[in-house]
Amino acid sequence: MPGRDHSANNFSPLAQITPANAGRLHGVWTFSTGVLGGHEGAPLVVRNTMYVVTPYPDVLYAFDLTKEGFPLRFKYRPPVDPNSLGVACCDGINRGPAYADGRIVYNLIDGNTVAVDAVSGKQLWLTRTASLADGETITSPAYIVKDRVIVGVSGGEFGIRGRITALDLATGKVVWVGYNAGPDAEMLAQPGVFRPFYDKGTALGVATWPADGWKTGGAPVWGFMSYDPALDLLYYGVGNPGPYNPEQRPGDNKWTASVLARHPGDGALVWAYQFTPHDNWDYDATGDVVLADLVIKGRPRRTLVHFDKNGFAYTLDRATGEVLVAEPFVFQNWAKRIDLATGRPVFDSTKFTGASRGNVKYICPSLEGGRTPATPVAFSPRTKLFYAATNNLCMDYEASQAAHLRGTPYIGANAPYHAGPGGNMGAFIAWDAAAGKRAWEVKEEFPAWSGSLVTAGGVAFYGTLDGWFKAVDARSGRPLWKVQVGSGVVSDPITFLGADGKQYVAVYAGIGGDWFLLAGDYRSDDPADVRDPSDFARDLARHTSQGGLVWVFGLER
Amino acid sequence: MSPVRRARLVPLILGAALACARTEPQAHADAPAVPLQSLQGRIFAGGLPPASTTPASNPLAGDTGAAREGSRLFTAMNCDGCHGGGASGWVGPSLADGRWRYGGNDAEVFRSIWYGRPKGMPAYGGVLAPDAVWKLVLYLKSLPPPSDLPTESW
Repeated sequence: MPGRDHSANNFSPLAQITPANAGRLHGVWTFSTGVLGGHEGAPLVVRNTMYVVTPYPDVLYAFDLTKEGFPLRFKYRPPVDPNSLGVACCDGINRGPAYADGRIVYNLIDGNTVAVDAVSGKQLWLTRTASLADGETITSPAYIVKDRVIVGVSGGEFGIRGRITALDLATGKVVWVGYNAGPDAEMLAQPGVFRPFYDKGTALGVATWPADGWKTGGAPVWGFMSYDPALDLLYYGVGNPGPYNPEQRPGDNKWTASVLARHPGDGALVWAYQFTPHDNWDYDATGDVVLADLVIKGRPRRTLVHFDKNGFAYTLDRATGEVLVAEPFVFQNWAKRIDLATGRPVFDSTKFTGASRGNVKYICPSLEGGRTPATPVAFSPRTKLFYAATNNLCMDYEASQAAHLRGTPYIGANAPYHAGPGGNMGAFIAWDAAAGKRAWEVKEEFPAWSGSLVTAGGVAFYGTLDGWFKAVDARSGRPLWKVQVGSGVVSDPITFLGADGKQYVAVYAGIGGDWFLLAGDYRSDDPADVRDPSDFARDLARHTSQGGLVWVFGLER
Repeated sequence: MSPVRRARLVPLILGAALACARTEPQAHADAPAVPLQSLQGRIFAGGLPPASTTPASNPLAGDTGAAREGSRLFTAMNCDGCHGGGASGWVGPSLADGRWRYGGNDAEVFRSIWYGRPKGMPAYGGVLAPDAVWKLVLYLKSLPPPSDLPTESW
């Protein structure tokens, strides 16, 4: 599954690759997916087969790792509606497959979920849970808990009504739908079962919105989920409210920009916590929710750690949703601090946005987030540190009145970016989530967008938009090795034990997602579309272009 | 443009479009019918499929006031959400570079807006009156292609 296990910590117990030998890593295999576009997500290795899902048109490749050259076992091409490309806000990306019970399950950008036989490549079922005509797509990684497939929905820029849908793993039939806003019954919030730590009362999903605002209020789900078997709780982050102009939606807008905990069997909502009430800045909270057992103030705690777009890293009690630690992991200036007594941010009112406020300057982080929710972080139980690629971008934010028109964007803001303090637009950091402190950082010229991997061997891996794939010492951040992979990295590296018993590392190269749009030279293969590079990173397109490559690295010649 | 005026614009346009949808078939009774398949696979803005129409020449050609109204419509109808502010390109292609996937004469651009195009361009003919679409065409055609098109940059 994405994140390797239900804690979603992207930690591998493999230890053959170490700081002492990582400098000997080299490419042992590469494959062109034949697709240009944002290659997010990670390959999945199960029983000596590596599964790769491309961005639109969502092709599934299965490679035989037991044979030289890793020949294909099969290639599965699903039916996918090309309209997806215009309805997806930011490139037709896919965040990866999951495996269970002999089947590969993944989401298609046009609103379907498919299950494919992991050996034969035969399609077992296909279920639609989202509608392009309503501005809905699916980019979330496949997630399987027991016999449930949990499916998110994207479209926070299209006035959707966000939710998750649970499918039966065997048949693909819809078991339950849990909305993120609206009446309690539709949020599956039952009296006595739903107990948020801070917010009391009922009908919060309606009362914190203007009349009917929740019906088109966004609240998408497109990030990485986790699950605690002892508590039987499924965790997922919820994205931004819509439109971006906050004056059109007075109130907290629950439960946008929040983390929700549900029982996966029936979807019952157990607790929720809102990181950014009445979001003014497109601070989605769809970033991953990693489960880690930490000692906080001398006391062992079962925590959930989340790096929010808003620039704060939160350490919560995952049984209750209580905030234990909330400290900024990048430069931010929209809040003075997070009040642990109330769980609410103490806002800097000069950074509030809205159509009546004109162009509000210098808000940090930008709406790309201090961390992108598009990729996951990693946590090592050995070092007790989190590893995260981060962005150092600020923005000006000019909101305007937006009109909801079905099937078209519903945004209402223009927010150009610029580099934050120091000028480096990104960094790879190690974070102590018990103390709320950064242990070390490696500065990057461009925003750092990839997922992270950390191993028992003591090596952390990440990639950069300008096409480097890098290994650093997990304890110190000391650079160990780097290689150019042919296109910017917006994917999530993995490591696996090969059929020969040796440890390998795999990653996709293929810039895309928001960076498809921002790098300039948007589509080299479309002569009818020529544009300038983005103002804030004009040089980025010097170092990368579209691509679609799967790489495997190893130590042996 | 003030937010209040922008908010009012849409109901006015929608009202005009509904009136138009009722009268359009009669107005063009002897025009060749557009084959049904031209709408297959399209997304409809507002969920409303467009009536058949046969665009000819732009009745508003040369009207700079109409081009300015087209600029306001470009934002009010959420065109900028995909094509970017100033139509300079976002997830949808740039419409300001003087290059066109589906033809750049007025009638071709009208068709692209009215009937939509593959890969997600919604059909707006169900919610916009022909006059409003012509205003959008005027606005897009008024955008001067940059004198130094960045074809030689990276």
